[in-house]
Amino acid sequence: MGLKDKYAIVGVGYTPQGRVPDRTALSFHVEAISNAIKDAGLRREDIDGLICYRHFPPLGGEPDVTPYLVAQHAGLFPKVMSQEANCARSQLLNAMGWLGAGLCNYVVISYANNPLSGGRSSGQRTDNYTKAVFGQFGATSGYAMAARRAMHTFHTGPDTWKHIAVGQRKWANLNPVAVMNDRTMTYEDYFSSRWVVEPLRLFDNCLVTDGGRACIVTSVERAKALQHPVVTIMGIGQHNTAVEIEQATNMAGPTGARLSGETALNMAGITLDDIDACEIYDCFTYTVEITLQDYGFFKPGEGESWFESGTIEPGGRMPVNTSGGQLSEAYFMGLTQITEATMQLMGRCGERQLGPRTNTKEPEIILCSDNGGILQTHSTVILRRL
Amino acid sequence: MDVSYQKPLPQPNADDRFFWDGCKKHILLFQKCRNCGGVRWPPSIICPGCYSRDTELIEASGKGKIYTYAIYHQVYHQGFRGEVPYVTAVIELEEGPHFLSNIIGCEPDNVECDMPVVVVWDDITAEFSLPRFKPIL
Repeated sequence: MGLKDKYAIVGVGYTPQGRVPDRTALSFHVEAISNAIKDAGLRREDIDGLICYRHFPPLGGEPDVTPYLVAQHAGLFPKVMSQEANCARSQLLNAMGWLGAGLCNYVVISYANNPLSGGRSSGQRTDNYTKAVFGQFGATSGYAMAARRAMHTFHTGPDTWKHIAVGQRKWANLNPVAVMNDRTMTYEDYFSSRWVVEPLRLFDNCLVTDGGRACIVTSVERAKALQHPVVTIMGIGQHNTAVEIEQATNMAGPTGARLSGETALNMAGITLDDIDACEIYDCFTYTVEITLQDYGFFKPGEGESWFESGTIEPGGRMPVNTSGGQLSEAYFMGLTQITEATMQLMGRCGERQLGPRTNTKEPEIILCSDNGGILQTHSTVILRRL
Repeated sequence: MDVSYQKPLPQPNADDRFFWDGCKKHILLFQKCRNCGGVRWPPSIICPGCYSRDTELIEASGKGKIYTYAIYHQVYHQGFRGEVPYVTAVIELEEGPHFLSNIIGCEPDNVECDMPVVVVWDDITAEFSLPRFKPIL
């Protein structure tokens, strides 16, 4: 297909992350964007497209973070800009469209939030009263329902998910910017963490993180003129099963990952055997299992045996979430995955670098996933080092 | 209105007011498409299966089985303090719709997927009644 290897990610922007008090969400957007521009070796005047990840209702006293406010504070004058409202997760596809249409040369994509210090919790929302009247709040409950149905449908449960939580923590222990860098996790630690919404424990949940993340997308020709090794978008796919979890019948698979993954692999012209590592959207441990299962890495119910013996850990045969992921590094929606894959392919990951340093395969191709709602939207992007 | 009720209340809208009016009479009403026969929830002005607007209301039996469920150990809303652990569940009703509710009259640890359940009415205020579900023994 025509999009293969035509576009590249040429810069990534980080900010302080974790519990970072006295910072607005807007300030993290601006910092992440400015760092990504600098990392790419560009000037702000070069940026002509801006995409902000999802919109959150502003916290008290803070401005509503819109793309035009972000543009103003970042000194950008984009030809095109947008912001998603509810996790449709089509940022990269939008950027590719704007570049392909000739409207833009360099598109910056940013995410930022300050939920930890700002006291924001999606769990307290009562805007959907048909759920709130029965005590249904937040994302954990929806994924708990999906995980419970999966336990009823095929062999899975905490004994499978413990490998994901513990395996990712081992990567975080190698990542100095990971929120959980200095905290190890054993299987016993996993099982002794408290229930949040059963069958999901605290350690099945992703982190709540203050901070921001950004990346810059351009054409592969422009990427070749910049300073970093060229990391291309080799394949991309999406599928949105859309139905709310309370009515969905695919929560134990196939989720949107099935068709999204097939689309991306077909575009890239490769199979799963060509994938060197995965950066999988991990709002919860179960999300990692069902995504890898629907991609076809293992058959339904074979997850526990696939994960055991350290498959996804440093030294494993299929490293997954090599920054620690959203469970143990930081939560920046799909940008946690995309930026980590880009950093790995550029060879900039220090102690956690894939290859000889972590006794893993030198990475050429990394598969990333993003997922929104309660398994309602899914996107897949396959990145490769040219 | 019962001022002691601390949990969120229904806020009926133009699409679903009929449902909550039915609940007040302890009747579970759902829209059924007269064209394709599909019974739908949440309510909508057209059938998502065939786009027909020709709709009738049917009274559901109140019986179904648990499609999936979640056991809340964390309190997300002050109104539910003192209630944990409580169970929310998706009920697969005999008529087809999947309906979010609670399972009551059963220890959370004894709840299972596919367990047959029946509606139990809970008059939470003078204005509103909630359909909750209990296992059929």
